[in-house]
Amino acid sequence: MFGLIKTWKALEARGIMGINRRNADYVLKYNKRHLYPIVDDKIITKERALAAGIHVPEMYGVIETEKEIEKLDQIIGGRSDFVIKPAQGAGGDGILVIADRFEDRYRTVSGKIISHEEIEHQVSSILTGLYSLGGHRDRALIEYRVTPDQIFKSISYEGVPDIRIIVLMGYPVMAMLRLPTRQSGGKANLHQGAIGVGVDLATGVTLRGTWLNNIISKHPDTTNAVDGVQLPNWDGFMKLAAGCYELCGLGYIGVDMVLDQEKGPLILELNARPGLNIQIANDCGLTQRTHAIEAHIEALAKDGLTEDAEQRVRVSQGLFGHVHPH
Amino acid sequence: MRSLTLHLKVLITVLVLLGVAVTAYQIFFLGIPVTEDETDDLWNIDAKVEFVASTKDPVKVQMFVPPLNRDYVSLNESFISNNYGVSVNRADGNRKVTWSARRASGNQTLYYRLVLTKRYSNEKTTVKGPTFRDSLAVEGPEKIAAEALMAPIRQHSADVETFVSETIKRVNNLNDDNVKLLLAGDTSAMKKAQIIDLLLSIAHVPMEKVHTIRLVADTPQTPELWLRSFNGNDWLYFNPDTGEQGLPSDRLLWWTGDDNLISVDGGKKANVTFSMNNSEMNAIRLAKLTDENTDADFLEYSLYSLPLQTQQTFMIMVMIPIGVLVILVLRNLIGLQTLGTFTPVLIALAFRETQLGFGIVLFTVITALGLSLRSYLEHLKLQMLPRLSVVLTFVVVLIAAISLFSHKLGLERGLSVALFPMVILTMTIERLSITWEERGGGHAMKVAIGTLFAASVAHLLMMVPELVYFVFTFPAVLLILVGFMLAMGRYRGYRLTELVRFKAFLKKADA
Repeated sequence: MFGLIKTWKALEARGIMGINRRNADYVLKYNKRHLYPIVDDKIITKERALAAGIHVPEMYGVIETEKEIEKLDQIIGGRSDFVIKPAQGAGGDGILVIADRFEDRYRTVSGKIISHEEIEHQVSSILTGLYSLGGHRDRALIEYRVTPDQIFKSISYEGVPDIRIIVLMGYPVMAMLRLPTRQSGGKANLHQGAIGVGVDLATGVTLRGTWLNNIISKHPDTTNAVDGVQLPNWDGFMKLAAGCYELCGLGYIGVDMVLDQEKGPLILELNARPGLNIQIANDCGLTQRTHAIEAHIEALAKDGLTEDAEQRVRVSQGLFGHVHPH
Repeated sequence: MRSLTLHLKVLITVLVLLGVAVTAYQIFFLGIPVTEDETDDLWNIDAKVEFVASTKDPVKVQMFVPPLNRDYVSLNESFISNNYGVSVNRADGNRKVTWSARRASGNQTLYYRLVLTKRYSNEKTTVKGPTFRDSLAVEGPEKIAAEALMAPIRQHSADVETFVSETIKRVNNLNDDNVKLLLAGDTSAMKKAQIIDLLLSIAHVPMEKVHTIRLVADTPQTPELWLRSFNGNDWLYFNPDTGEQGLPSDRLLWWTGDDNLISVDGGKKANVTFSMNNSEMNAIRLAKLTDENTDADFLEYSLYSLPLQTQQTFMIMVMIPIGVLVILVLRNLIGLQTLGTFTPVLIALAFRETQLGFGIVLFTVITALGLSLRSYLEHLKLQMLPRLSVVLTFVVVLIAAISLFSHKLGLERGLSVALFPMVILTMTIERLSITWEERGGGHAMKVAIGTLFAASVAHLLMMVPELVYFVFTFPAVLLILVGFMLAMGRYRGYRLTELVRFKAFLKKADA
């Protein structure tokens, strides 16, 4: 009991945010319920992003009914690689990534050969709502397959590493690079076993990482060091993330982005309830940073000022950047 | 945001205060007992009247019975007598029963039986009594002796109360010559009371003899003499031997005045023996029983005024918020992972039918079999709705089979599953299997065990009889509960499991 109180005090002192605080002080306060569909439905997110001129992976087509499954061939066209996603999927479930195609067979990124019927069944499962939040009917989305930039080859196992930035009222607060592992099956979700690596907001240099709630500095599959890597085009990521506030109107979001070999930083999806493990990855609590941003906004509001995305990025980089490596 | 917090605080305070106030009103003002075990004594008093009737004359027996106008409520009163006419009449604050018969002979036995209990409401009834009276005539040496006694009594007293008690003390001092003279060698209680009466009358202080019965089980007794005087507001009772004031609470006033308990015309050797015993009765039931005889109608607007069947339903329903509270604490404070939010409460309700141990076994077996069916159906690549329907039908068949088998084996417990909510089970299976696929078997097991644990805790708490009684009797407690839930809605501290989850930070700090 005494030990628990000590732990509590220590976590509090470091400003570690718990689920209850995240829900009460941020998710409930800044995220209006009626805006949720914008982030919960990837198709709406994509449409909004395109309208705002924000880069997203190109959408090849949408399948809404069982009848439309016939059009799958037509949507794919001659492309040999593409991704099928549930529009309202959660936690990366139900996503099928096709890397190659020969005659009537397809090969997924993990090397599994599947037939056209199996793809159609997957689409049908998506439509019935197997992967959607709450189990209601869903739409299937067929889009461009991202090819990760070469920079990640050395520290990643397989799949697509992505970058998650938590954004409060348009100000980036904390960032992390998520690397799939053998255990996560190519997915970049931490609860499925992916690694989270903290990123310095000012420089884009990686810090140490978290894997299954532990602090690590090497990738468990490749044993390459994950820290000290300079992420390319970092300011582009920051601006992209900061701009998502105007895009969706939600005040507290996690922005998931990828770095495509050809197209550069792209928005994958937005999350209205971003996880808390990013704190372990950065070895830093969220509460102090969010408080600093809230104080900054209050000070601006007093003078009747607002800042655009570029200014916000600079504020965040000034406040939270240049973390001393441990 | 700040105004919202203030709003919330005010709301919580109002709800909690309202809940506490209503409950306190029920407990302290209406006197509703706090636990079901709280019972009230129920006294059963038998007065057995025996006498020998003379063969010639008609018989008329008169006996005082308790007037029951103050602290006690009669639940039942009966006069048991063969061939006697019975009538009850009131006179001078007393009640008297008259048994009469034209012809009777030999030994006669009559019974008077009274079942009574203490009165519930502690409302003060106003009483009336005399505050002045004339002096009794007294002559010669007695007059001188009485006046000699009066002088120090006057000196040592301040009001009616002290005057009476001083008088009683003086008369009980048998070494005093004046007292000896007045008693004239008779030191019986009646004689003493008579002298006390005489002395008080000289001072114009009214005094009445009170005959009481002690409410003690299984001890033979005769009526005990007490004295009482009216001070303008209330009767003051005095012990005629010691002068102490105040009637002990176990005394039941039987009659007042100088008359004997019983008088028999046309008979002799009259004798009355009292016997009494007490039994206990649930206080609420007793209250309802006395309700018909009294004006205590505090149960009128409680859940107890509902028909019995509805009451039983409500006894379950009022416990649901308690179960929900358990889930709330387990999830938001402890951080236990459960399947859905209220599924554990529904499972806890299902455990009512099956008992806990059997319910857990049943839940585990059906869920395990359902999961294996679900994983088989997965291979068939069915759509969601047909698949759910198959699982639900399978669950029904499974429950039917279990009922049949347990019935054949003579285990009636198995039949109780009939009402085990099948839809809940089906949904549990479906969601568990999705969790299994998405998060892996380990996580699914963790969630399943968490759900069972939460359901068990909720069930155990919802079954505590004292708690059920308390919430059912004092439904305002639910307001306090809502206050707590509202407060939980703004709770932003860590969950217990997070202390473990973020342990990595501490290791770092120590190093």
